Amino acid sequence: MSSSEATPVESPKPVEAPPKQSQPDAAPKLSGAEIKKQKAAEKAARRAQAAKEKQGGAPAPPLASPAPAQKGDGPKAQKSQQKRRGSMSTPKDIPIRSQKGIVVIPEEPKKEDKTVEFFRHLYKPRMKGLAGAGKDAHPAVLALGIQMSNYSICGSSARLVATLQAFKRVIESYTTPPGNTLTRHLTSHVLSPQIEYIASCRPISISMGNAIRWLKLEISKVDIDTPEADAKKALCEGIDVFIRERVTFADQVIANSAAEKIRDGDVILTYAKSSIVQHALVKAHEDGKKFGVIVVDSRPLHEGKHLAAALAGLGIEVKYCLTNGLSHNIQDATKVFLGAHAMMSNGRLFSRAGTALVAMEANDNDKPVLVLCETIKFTERVALDSIVHNEIAPPDELVITGGALEAWRDIPHLQLCNPMYDVTPAEYIQMIVTESGNVPPTSVPVLHRLGNESQG
Amino acid sequence: MDDNDTTSQSSYEGSTTPPPLAGHPPALTRMATVGNIPQGTKAPFDIVQTYHRLLREDPDLTMPVAAIEALIELLVQSRAVTVFETLDLVKTQSDYLKSRIPNSISLSAGTDLFQRYMISSLKPSSTGNFDSVRQHLLSNGRLFVSRAKAGRERIANYGRNFVRDGSVVLTHGGSRVVGALLSKAAEASASGGNVRFNVIYVMNDARSHESKSVVSALRAKGVPVAIIPEGAVGYAMGKVNLVIVGAEGVVENGGIISRLGTYQIALLAKAAGKPFYVAAESHKFVRLYPLGQYDLGIDQEVIKFETEDEEETSHNDVEAKFTDSTPRVLERMDYFGDVKPNSAVDAVDFTPPALVSALITESGVLTPSAVSEELISVWY
Repeated sequence: MSSSEATPVESPKPVEAPPKQSQPDAAPKLSGAEIKKQKAAEKAARRAQAAKEKQGGAPAPPLASPAPAQKGDGPKAQKSQQKRRGSMSTPKDIPIRSQKGIVVIPEEPKKEDKTVEFFRHLYKPRMKGLAGAGKDAHPAVLALGIQMSNYSICGSSARLVATLQAFKRVIESYTTPPGNTLTRHLTSHVLSPQIEYIASCRPISISMGNAIRWLKLEISKVDIDTPEADAKKALCEGIDVFIRERVTFADQVIANSAAEKIRDGDVILTYAKSSIVQHALVKAHEDGKKFGVIVVDSRPLHEGKHLAAALAGLGIEVKYCLTNGLSHNIQDATKVFLGAHAMMSNGRLFSRAGTALVAMEANDNDKPVLVLCETIKFTERVALDSIVHNEIAPPDELVITGGALEAWRDIPHLQLCNPMYDVTPAEYIQMIVTESGNVPPTSVPVLHRLGNESQG
Repeated sequence: MDDNDTTSQSSYEGSTTPPPLAGHPPALTRMATVGNIPQGTKAPFDIVQTYHRLLREDPDLTMPVAAIEALIELLVQSRAVTVFETLDLVKTQSDYLKSRIPNSISLSAGTDLFQRYMISSLKPSSTGNFDSVRQHLLSNGRLFVSRAKAGRERIANYGRNFVRDGSVVLTHGGSRVVGALLSKAAEASASGGNVRFNVIYVMNDARSHESKSVVSALRAKGVPVAIIPEGAVGYAMGKVNLVIVGAEGVVENGGIISRLGTYQIALLAKAAGKPFYVAAESHKFVRLYPLGQYDLGIDQEVIKFETEDEEETSHNDVEAKFTDSTPRVLERMDYFGDVKPNSAVDAVDFTPPALVSALITESGVLTPSAVSEELISVWY
């Protein structure tokens, strides 16, 4: 079959190209795919040779060309069948193949790629400390970056507020260099390196992206003739107002309207920890509602522990379980409250990995799913799956020290996947509670447009 | 404000303003500050009576429009002299009216819309000459009412295109919009168009009078009507081409609140893959977002668990029956104990947007998700 086809091509080769002498021995036992590769390499080598010694290399091309032509003649299906049969029936192939691999590639075995193929485009080296930080990064931003990368500032809203406050410090300590204007200099030369540094610590969240876009717009709107001190003051005040309106006040409104949805006797199921869900539950408790809470949590962040502890501390009846207890506990729930990382324009919810599972279970059990989300987290982007856009956290977070996975990097063919977010289909969501009212998922683009119009 | 508070405390006697109540809803306590209900020579104005009278006088009137008309009449008779007073009065009276009607969903669509309209037209800038503002408000309010009535005709014109030749339409309830729509479709066939269609009417025994009038009106127009009991909907669905129903209210997510039994028809239609259309005027859009059947904000006595001995006592003492039955969802009940919850006859259910193919309104045929956009554009 294919290997026998190859031999006539191979045999005259040693005469012409002595350096490849070792190959004819291995060649007859190679599988078709290997031979193809090998031939391509040989062809390239021969062409290179031909280029060098113009006369001697002349007979090589006519010899190389018949081989692919012969191959192409046979019916493809038959060939592939033969190939498969060949590799399965003769187990000798396998050891020889690996032997050959060592022979052809003289370098030592490559270190196995420990990234998961589907998510490979998302892997980014994460900055862990100050080392490598650019000299442009402001101290407040440096601190923030470290806090973000070790999750001591975690959660979309908290990160947004912290970022804006750090930028406020940056703006406060900024002086326009002579011969420049604030409008033209600040964004490109001062703000951009900060944003870059923060993004290198942990990818920028959607809400942070929205806020940064707003801040850049504000800076660009500053009149060139405005004295620097006034402009800085105006920008800092603008940031304060932005935080107050889009986060603080929005949170209050959402907490109120979500608390209104809680009735006596309800059992609210929530996943992981969302500050806004916590606000809403605390508000309902303060209003004197009698209800229970089930906190579903998951590894590796165990964010729900904090929520469960905080609520139990207030005297709310709390049940805590991990996702493996979800399908049992969902039956006791009457409503599901979820936080959001972002709301996509196709009505899908982008939130902590595991949220989609909770929403699906809730939908299967006919429990209404409410998403509590500020409009600052709305984005014009759409998400069809959680692969194209996501954040991959360091896989070592999944490893329990002393556990079986501790030496996972040394185990061949084992990869750990630790995505941060997933996408929940819009059909699973009954209502989105925002500061501008309760809307169905289909209205996300409308509210996003309204929010931007008022911003612009 | 303080002054107002003290005067109002003493003026409840003669007025129909509800007294401020401890606890919630706080809105009532806060808003019940103006006791300037017209207390003219005749009997004091009662918005609830006016509302009922309007509904009685004009059988074609829908509940939201009746509520708006009642509020306009209130404005005509009121002696409020400032914008704030007027808004306060309308708010108080709306809440009062809502609290007195067992099923206030449809009605609240009208009062909310009117208040919204007032707030937008009574801008602080226009406070200069209050009388002209008030006149403007009244005339526009009337215009609104007449437009709302004309809406039904436009819906019928949009909706008739859905009724194709040879199709079978399933409907139920006594919706006037659906009646107008179907008779419009029938008229087309009388005037030379060849739209011949059959109607399957789902009969509700508790409301047989209403049902009979709808059926006879259609039959008079030459439309063959079959009457089936509610239990036969699933059986009949195979013969049906489309379902058209009316609605008491269209809620924010595009679902509808309608006569009890609509939800099951919608479910059956979905299961059979038949389109389910809702004919409703856009003034029936309510600012309400129910999460399910028991989240409608009203109290309904549809499911009652009883045993033999309980039944006896409840027959003896009607009051006891109301207090002993399922726990009340609504705070309002604590304040106005004499309002009876919806019995099974008047009860409504909620049809989620996923079951609705389209809503036929006077501003066009909308998908359920377009309703929320429409509401957002009205309210923000």
